[in-house]
Amino acid sequence: MTTETAVAIEGLVQRRAHFELGPVDLNIPKGYVTAIVGPNGSGKSSLFRLMLGLARPDSGGVRLLGEQVRGEDRVSLKTRIGYVPEEAIDIEDRLSGEAKSAFVRQWYPGWDVNYYRELLRRFEVDPALKLGKMSKGMRRKFELSLAMAHHPELLLLDEPSSGLDPIAWKTMIDALHRFMERGDRTIVMASHIIDEVRRLADYIAFVAQGKVLGMYEKDALLEAWQTMYVDAGGRTLPWKEMPGYRSCDLAGGTTYKVVTEQAFEAEQWLAAAGAVLVSKRKLELDDILLNLTEHARGVY
Amino acid sequence: MWIPIQLNEQSAEPLYHQIEVQLRAFIVSGQMPEGTLLPSIRELAQLTKCSVITVRRVYQDLENEGLLRTRQGTGTFVAKVDETLRDTQRRSTVIGAIEAAVDAGIRVHFTDEEMMEMLREVLGRKRAAEALTERQGAPTDEGGEPA
Repeated sequence: MTTETAVAIEGLVQRRAHFELGPVDLNIPKGYVTAIVGPNGSGKSSLFRLMLGLARPDSGGVRLLGEQVRGEDRVSLKTRIGYVPEEAIDIEDRLSGEAKSAFVRQWYPGWDVNYYRELLRRFEVDPALKLGKMSKGMRRKFELSLAMAHHPELLLLDEPSSGLDPIAWKTMIDALHRFMERGDRTIVMASHIIDEVRRLADYIAFVAQGKVLGMYEKDALLEAWQTMYVDAGGRTLPWKEMPGYRSCDLAGGTTYKVVTEQAFEAEQWLAAAGAVLVSKRKLELDDILLNLTEHARGVY
Repeated sequence: MWIPIQLNEQSAEPLYHQIEVQLRAFIVSGQMPEGTLLPSIRELAQLTKCSVITVRRVYQDLENEGLLRTRQGTGTFVAKVDETLRDTQRRSTVIGAIEAAVDAGIRVHFTDEEMMEMLREVLGRKRAAEALTERQGAPTDEGGEPA
């Protein structure tokens, strides 16, 4: 199966007085959900703004769905994209949901009023309310319905679930899975909600301090990172030579607790070294993130 | 459609392998008969919290084994399972379980005779329980006691 690229980011750099993003090189495949995961202030939202041409890079560039993104508005490209920003736009507070959708739909030839109504109904959103009167969660669900109503090829979601209660959250996850059902659509979402990433993502790109630490297929990543308890039989092994070595602590007696990001190779290495693997378990996604970001910060 | 696949997320066994083993068992045992429409790749990914890459790999493996077939535009179905294949698969599942039991026995030094005796005892107990539930017409759900 050949994989097309939905978002191609090349040598992207944005310099600000207090923050520098990049250089970022990232290829996001079409037909999948890619989660951009990272701590607060790591540059996720800046990356989204650059992807959409809402901010200008100092160097490098972004191609969305094969088209180069530039500063000017490219209506034809934007009709193929849906975007939900992290923060609601407060100058719209006095606008009713109906009024905003009446304005927005003019720009999208593919606007599907039935699908839009269905999303509002499933999300239990009352579009007659003024946006400023909606709860944070309802406004979020409204914005998401609006962003999906024209069946975009590419959906960019910046912290989609912020403010959602658990029921609304499940409805959203379900709606996004259905959106992906056709197989030719792409979602790129920024998130630090681990459960959301677990449930939705096919690929995960980790960012920290303005840099991309790596992009991984979710299940392969979760299988590769393991904590192993190893009985070295009283010897000292050259742990740092173990494939995927991340950390090693003496757990008690002659047993060591080692963390690897290449579980399969590490296990073979241990067997060859004559060490006894007592037990192993997978790391949770947040532990992997912590490990990667600390490593990037040079903590160890 | 709903498939009762249960994954152990903590287990070091790869998820694709866990899904594949369970799905194969449903098909081979006849619980999913020929022609059954499977969930779409995205649906099963949602159900198992796996990526579509993992699920696609499972479907492809089982298709290569001749257990599934995909019709363009309609979906993935259970194929006609060859009788000899079904028989081999049935046997290999049980043999695998017996091998694990035998390993456990050898580890703690039981004799062959003792192990045969244990197998007969377990069999006797299970068959009796089976006969009892059949007579009562009660649901056969094991461990179905209210919590």
